[in-house]
Amino acid sequence: MKIAFLRNSLRIRLLAGTLVWIVISILVAGWGLGQLFHQHVEAQFDVELKNHLDQLTAQLILDEQNQAQVRLLPSDPRLNKPLSGLYWQIDRITAAVERPVKAVLRSRSLWDETLVVPADAPADGEIYQHRIEGPHGVALRVVERTVTIDTHSLMLMVAANESLMTAPIADFKGHLWLALGILGMGLTFAASMQVFVGLAPLRSMQDALGRVRHGDARNMEGTFPSEIMPLVNEFNTVLAQNAEVVERARTQAGNLAHALKTPLSVLSNAANAPEKRDDDLARLVTSQVDTVRKQVDYHLSRAQAAASVQVPGMRTSVEPVIQGLVRVMQRVHAERHLVFVVIPDEASLSFRGEEQDLQEMLGNLIDNASKWARSRIEIQVSDESGKLRVSIDDDGKGIAETERDHVLKRGVRADEQVPGTGLGLAITADLAQMYGGDLVLAKSSLGGLQASLILPAV
Amino acid sequence: MRILVVEDEPTLAAQLAEGIKSVGYVVDVAHNGVDGHFMGETQPYDAIVLDIGLPQMDGITVLKKWRASGRTLPVLILTARDTWREKVAGIDAGADDYLTKPFHMEELLARLRALIRRAGGHASTEFVCGPLTLDTRSSRASVDGTALTLTSHEYRVLAYLMHHPGEIVSRAELTEHIYAQDFDRDSNTVEVFIARLRKKLPPGLIETVRGLGYRLNKAQ
Repeated sequence: MKIAFLRNSLRIRLLAGTLVWIVISILVAGWGLGQLFHQHVEAQFDVELKNHLDQLTAQLILDEQNQAQVRLLPSDPRLNKPLSGLYWQIDRITAAVERPVKAVLRSRSLWDETLVVPADAPADGEIYQHRIEGPHGVALRVVERTVTIDTHSLMLMVAANESLMTAPIADFKGHLWLALGILGMGLTFAASMQVFVGLAPLRSMQDALGRVRHGDARNMEGTFPSEIMPLVNEFNTVLAQNAEVVERARTQAGNLAHALKTPLSVLSNAANAPEKRDDDLARLVTSQVDTVRKQVDYHLSRAQAAASVQVPGMRTSVEPVIQGLVRVMQRVHAERHLVFVVIPDEASLSFRGEEQDLQEMLGNLIDNASKWARSRIEIQVSDESGKLRVSIDDDGKGIAETERDHVLKRGVRADEQVPGTGLGLAITADLAQMYGGDLVLAKSSLGGLQASLILPAV
Repeated sequence: MRILVVEDEPTLAAQLAEGIKSVGYVVDVAHNGVDGHFMGETQPYDAIVLDIGLPQMDGITVLKKWRASGRTLPVLILTARDTWREKVAGIDAGADDYLTKPFHMEELLARLRALIRRAGGHASTEFVCGPLTLDTRSSRASVDGTALTLTSHEYRVLAYLMHHPGEIVSRAELTEHIYAQDFDRDSNTVEVFIARLRKKLPPGLIETVRGLGYRLNKAQ
């Protein structure tokens, strides 16, 4: 799961890629620079040792007893300070014995120590180099050469503490890694910033999409970089097409209804003409026309809602819809002087869906309440744990508990004497369920029916 | 009572006209929005049945124009698209009631009667003036419970007078409301109908107001 997360995050991919390269580059650079400095310091060190050796060689003479003598001692003060780390020593090489006689002459700094180098015999003029263990086990770097005066062979050597060379190198490397570390952190920070800034448009695209899904915007708004803009434009086109398809479906469904219902009216009126009214055929036509009308109404409203449930970005204010429907009811039932009380919701939630669908659902419920009410209808909008709840109460005679489930089924009329009831409730329940909501019937505190519509809110 | 029917489907328009005539109203028919608008604008109708889906000018626009020019007569709209959006639009445009297609003629007539009654400020389908009773549901008149035998023209004249009790109704106004638009009108015939009605009604119920017209005597 963690691997998948790493693989699926663009930010982590970009950052990880950059980080790997930063680390590799810094390691290579650090190692390379260290090596270069090391070689340089070593070469300098060796040159210095050889200079001392040359100086010593130049001042070497044999006295009358064929004893080696140094006419003028090398001037470096470290050679006079005991165990200072810089030493010289002259050995005599005898032909008989392989081991040379040790230390015929030595620097004062050596005190009574002796430098022991591996037995070898550099040819005249050659300079050999060794690493040996000196006084107190300190590592020494030694250069040596053989000098032959007459028949006497002498081994001259100059040595220095290796730490004189390694200390500055270690010091340098410490500073080097510190500097490279700071550089690495800087680069990592820069890379993170780059990834963050570079991916910021994706973040704002996500926000824009979120607004569309929430119904705050009809399409993705804002300007995006030229690499992302085509994607946003394409998406907006798809959204627009979607809305257009729904609108067309609605129009066509409406046209179909119009095309069907006028001929149905003609048929129904012809069958209801006074002279035909008792005819069996006329009765059949009347009842079938009624069935066709119900079927058309039911399936049309379903088809229309099915189309719009799929469209994101829908948001409908509830109160204007209720007010419009109340105006209709007050006009149509003018002589009954019904009192409509609308109690709006303080949080002012909106319905997450198409206006026409909300109008259908509330229209059917308010119409139903108006037909049955004696004098008063109360419509209350409230927030039921994040969902929108619209309750419609009337003071009519209500529906008995045993009948309530029954009337929600398609095409069943609770009472035939008020036209149009029953089907409206069934359509409303169906629409509500398509939106993931519900229609609940209960007894109202006003005495009649309470129909509560529960719908997704924005 | 004169009614305008605006409906583009000829058969349905004829059925509507037939049905409305059968209850004693006079009917004019327009088959498109432009004609319908013109007729509603220029003729004195008592109510209008208006289809929403009309050619040339849709019903909502026609209705809005009437209302904008101050026509307050009751309008019943017929809608085929059984959506609340359309009903709200219709009512907001100034309709007084709506009916969705297909409808039963009885229902349409009942709604129409209710609208005309409401426009005249009556609460009941029965109009009473002294001993005279007019039942708009059955299109019958009776005096002290005894049914009167009236011709359709006599009924229309009486019904119009009863919808405007105590008001002076001119001969021209009566003519406008008892004949359809294309009928060969002659205001003298109104006098004939009034004379016949007077014979059938208790004396003094219909007064003649010299030079102005007729009045139904409420005090009787």
